[in-house]
Amino acid sequence: MGFEITRFQGDVDEELVCPICSGVLEDPLQAPVCEHAFCRSCIQEWISRQPTCPVDRQHITSVQLRPVPRILRNLLARLCINCDNAEYGCTRVLKLDTLTTHLEECEHNPKRLLPCEQGCGLVIPKDELKDHNCIKELRALIQTQQHKLNDFQQELAEQRFTMVEQKRELQLLKDFMKAMRISNPAMRAIADQMERDEVLRWSNTLIRARVTRWGGMISTPDEILQRMIKRTLSECGCPAHILDDLMENCHERRWPPGLCSLETRQTNRRLYENYVCKRIPGKQAVLVLHCDNEHMSEEMMVEPGLVMIFAHGIE
Amino acid sequence: MANIAAQRIKREFKEVIKSEEVAKCAIKVELVNDNYTELKGEIAGPPDTPYEGGNFILEIKVPETYPFNPPKVRFITKIWHPNISSVTGAICLDILKDQWAAAMTLRTVLLSLQALLSAAEPDDPQDAVVAKQFKENAEMFHLTACHWTNIYAGGPSVNKDFDDKIKKLVEMGVDEHEARVALSSYNWDMERATEQLFS
Ligand SMILES: [Zn+2]
Ligand SMILES: [Zn+2]
Ligand SMILES: [Zn+2]
Repeated sequence: MGFEITRFQGDVDEELVCPICSGVLEDPLQAPVCEHAFCRSCIQEWISRQPTCPVDRQHITSVQLRPVPRILRNLLARLCINCDNAEYGCTRVLKLDTLTTHLEECEHNPKRLLPCEQGCGLVIPKDELKDHNCIKELRALIQTQQHKLNDFQQELAEQRFTMVEQKRELQLLKDFMKAMRISNPAMRAIADQMERDEVLRWSNTLIRARVTRWGGMISTPDEILQRMIKRTLSECGCPAHILDDLMENCHERRWPPGLCSLETRQTNRRLYENYVCKRIPGKQAVLVLHCDNEHMSEEMMVEPGLVMIFAHGIE
Repeated sequence: MANIAAQRIKREFKEVIKSEEVAKCAIKVELVNDNYTELKGEIAGPPDTPYEGGNFILEIKVPETYPFNPPKVRFITKIWHPNISSVTGAICLDILKDQWAAAMTLRTVLLSLQALLSAAEPDDPQDAVVAKQFKENAEMFHLTACHWTNIYAGGPSVNKDFDDKIKKLVEMGVDEHEARVALSSYNWDMERATEQLFS
């Protein structure tokens, strides 16, 4: 639909008026033979109803519509129009071809978003600012948040319930497997092999670590440190059946003879470089898995592996 | 009302008001309500026709989809014309139906209706009885149309004979307009009109 003719400065030539909407042509197109010009939206609406020129009823189709000549476009572009927001106080008069750019930044646009200055922190269309009530708005906001929270809580409760159910089933399965393992030697062999494979697979996902300062080894890590390491191991996929044993083996009291005291450690220091160590992500600690270190002697290795925690010096 | 319809009607309203036809008192248009959805039109009966000297009021309803659809127009003033219903005032005119074009205006509609009064099209009738009379008894049609113009549109030519016949029927308890319709339909034959009215 074209621009209302009363918005223009001075007289507008009839040539520039759309015969359908009687406004000044907006994005005009013209009919092929008679060359009557119309707003794009107006003529398309009309042609969708019947394929004729609205002025002389010559047959025309949508694809025959053409852009209007440059001279007509220039005449339109040079017309001076007031801003869409004139009724809201904008006094600007613009060339028609700059109207769109102005509207994007016109400060009188009643729908322009403004931050509330009374401190609620909400951003509101300008025309709603007058009736805006921070407390009311925030209250509504709290209410919707509360609804969401309730929904989440309900969802959480449901998840918990299914989790408990699943745990119970899992335990049943575990017990069943244990029983199978005990009663059937072939089953035991298969299960052992599966467990070994699992450790191997996990080991392959870990990155090789290099210890640069073996002297930084903490042989008696405290509870907090141990819990931290355990959590990280669990998070990076450590098979459950070795997790507890591994963590036991982070303290010198469970270390093999070659490591279990300061003295033996002094003696075997030169062997340290032979360990294949794996990185424990984000921690100053390494994993020395038995499956990676079959080449080490009984003196220096235990099943399923060792956890060595350092003060520093891990790459 | 859609923006485009309102914008058009406002402009057309001014166009009619400023037109030279208004100056000559040939056409007129008035607003019925503030939102431009209904207007009252008026056309003068064209010279050298049975409608000369009469003023004909029109009801003009502007649809939401105007100007993509034509305005709905009918005669409020009763009229005897082959293309206009003598009962409802409904008009049979191509531009108010499938020949409408979006660039047409209230002014073109009013002028077209005036043209229709000058040149009836009995082969595309709205009122079959009137059309039949128009084709078969042109003189009777002319007299009847003049009479209706006189009675309903303030036309000048009084027909004493017709008035008397109606008066007789009214004295017999018939409604005046019903009497006029019956007599007009039977070429002012008292006997046949009476027969129809009392059957
Ligand atoms: Zn238009
Ligand atoms: Zn502005
Ligand atoms: Zn606020």
